[in-house]
Amino acid sequence: MIEILQLGWHTTIQDLGRFGQQSLGVPISGAMDLNAFNWANKLLNNDPNDACFEITIKGPILKFHRATYITITGAKVRLTLNKDHIEMYKPISIKKGDILHISNTTVGCRVYIAILGGFQTETVLGSKSQFKGLTFNDRIDKKSVIAINKIPFVTKLAGIKAHLIDYSNINLKVYIGPEYHLLNTSSRNSLKIKQFTISSQNNRMGYRLNEKIKQQLPEIWTAPTLPGTVQLTPEGTLIILMRDAQVTGGYARIFQLTDDAINLLAQKSTLDQLKFEIIRYKE
Amino acid sequence: MNKTLPFTFFKIHPKAILLEWQQEPNSDLLHELNCFKEKIKNHFKEFSQITQGYCSLLIQLKSNIENSNKINNELILLHKNINTNKSDKISKHWSIPVLYEGLFGLDLEYLSIELKLSIEKIISLHTKKTYNVYFIGFLPGFLYLEGLDSRLFFTRKKTPRLKIPKGAVAIGGKQTGIYPDQSPGGWQIIGNTPIKLFKPNDKKPCFASSGDTLSFYPVSFEQYTVILNSKNQSPYLKSKK
Repeated sequence: MIEILQLGWHTTIQDLGRFGQQSLGVPISGAMDLNAFNWANKLLNNDPNDACFEITIKGPILKFHRATYITITGAKVRLTLNKDHIEMYKPISIKKGDILHISNTTVGCRVYIAILGGFQTETVLGSKSQFKGLTFNDRIDKKSVIAINKIPFVTKLAGIKAHLIDYSNINLKVYIGPEYHLLNTSSRNSLKIKQFTISSQNNRMGYRLNEKIKQQLPEIWTAPTLPGTVQLTPEGTLIILMRDAQVTGGYARIFQLTDDAINLLAQKSTLDQLKFEIIRYKE
Repeated sequence: MNKTLPFTFFKIHPKAILLEWQQEPNSDLLHELNCFKEKIKNHFKEFSQITQGYCSLLIQLKSNIENSNKINNELILLHKNINTNKSDKISKHWSIPVLYEGLFGLDLEYLSIELKLSIEKIISLHTKKTYNVYFIGFLPGFLYLEGLDSRLFFTRKKTPRLKIPKGAVAIGGKQTGIYPDQSPGGWQIIGNTPIKLFKPNDKKPCFASSGDTLSFYPVSFEQYTVILNSKNQSPYLKSKK
């Protein structure tokens, strides 16, 4: 098991998410940066859906009460195991009693810790991803004691060079959304040219942007949305829906982020800049 | 594309197609969407899931759509073969107990003044109607209901409440609904139900589904407490007809 010696800022358990429950109003959830999450599991030969820690901005201090292996991916952090510096994107052997310190993030804002066999927390509706009202806890707290598996025979680990995404890239690739055609030329131009700033209202549900669009689009009859849907409110505010977003919405849907763009945005936070780059479907 | 087709296609994501009906929602459209939905679920090998809005269906597949035209043509054919007179799905009716009085109907007095209706009249208008369950969204188990008496239409609060209590029965614009869990929200609260709308660990987490009907009936504080504490709430959901 793992003990939380000191809490970070916001740490949750995440896997690939909940599928097939959206018609009941259940969000997909799952790791915000699926690319970093996938690498964390891959480097341990884990199952792709094994649950990881998702750490936001400020890392916790963890104590391991069982020998195991971990990998740490995502936003750039300084890692200290007992007194030794350790590397990201590499399997790390953990001995019983080891203490792991994770610094604040320097580039990007979400860090993933995978553990051999995945963290053994409750599964609700087919997923371990924590969500208020579904799982018993909606985040890791100081009292959390997380069960982990016994270490099995470990064959060769590592040897994979991870593809790192450049988190400083500000261009988000988007497809046009169903209500994009309602925008006038001047709105379309400013969406293409303008650089936008992420407001302090950004979390796993969505990111609100500071700059407004002059044109006001009416509300629509409540309709389905997806993670990565960019909404325009009647006041001209842009909201980008993320993994924990509600499955339907009443605001105009002007863009849809590509899956890679969602992963990139997941590593951005308050006051970070971004631009939209419209792309077409390859068919 | 066929001009007489009642819906439009929109590829919203490499793996998802959005179908939209350019019209006002009504119960005929709801029925059509539900019949169509069943056909779609059984047709595509790569089917992942389908979500719905008032006038739209979002079809998600497991892999990228390589040929939109082919899928669109298959959908047109499927739609042609819908038989709206014969539905395999049996729609159910649910009766929801509501405590309207006192602290539970936080905005009842305000609504009574603004709508120039007595509290008794508001309750009777709210309980008399049968509502259509259109779809579930917003929160797990939040039912989008249609059929509110026009005398009860009332705009949402300009500044939403940060915490709407679990089970709150509320009015927002032309809609009425129940908050399945504590959440922020801008609707006007007129009562509270002791019924649990979403039980994540149950085989069927939400009792209602799109196409069902629902009505409300008033209960006293004593009845409310009994229902709230009873392990099996389903007898209280049965139709009172």
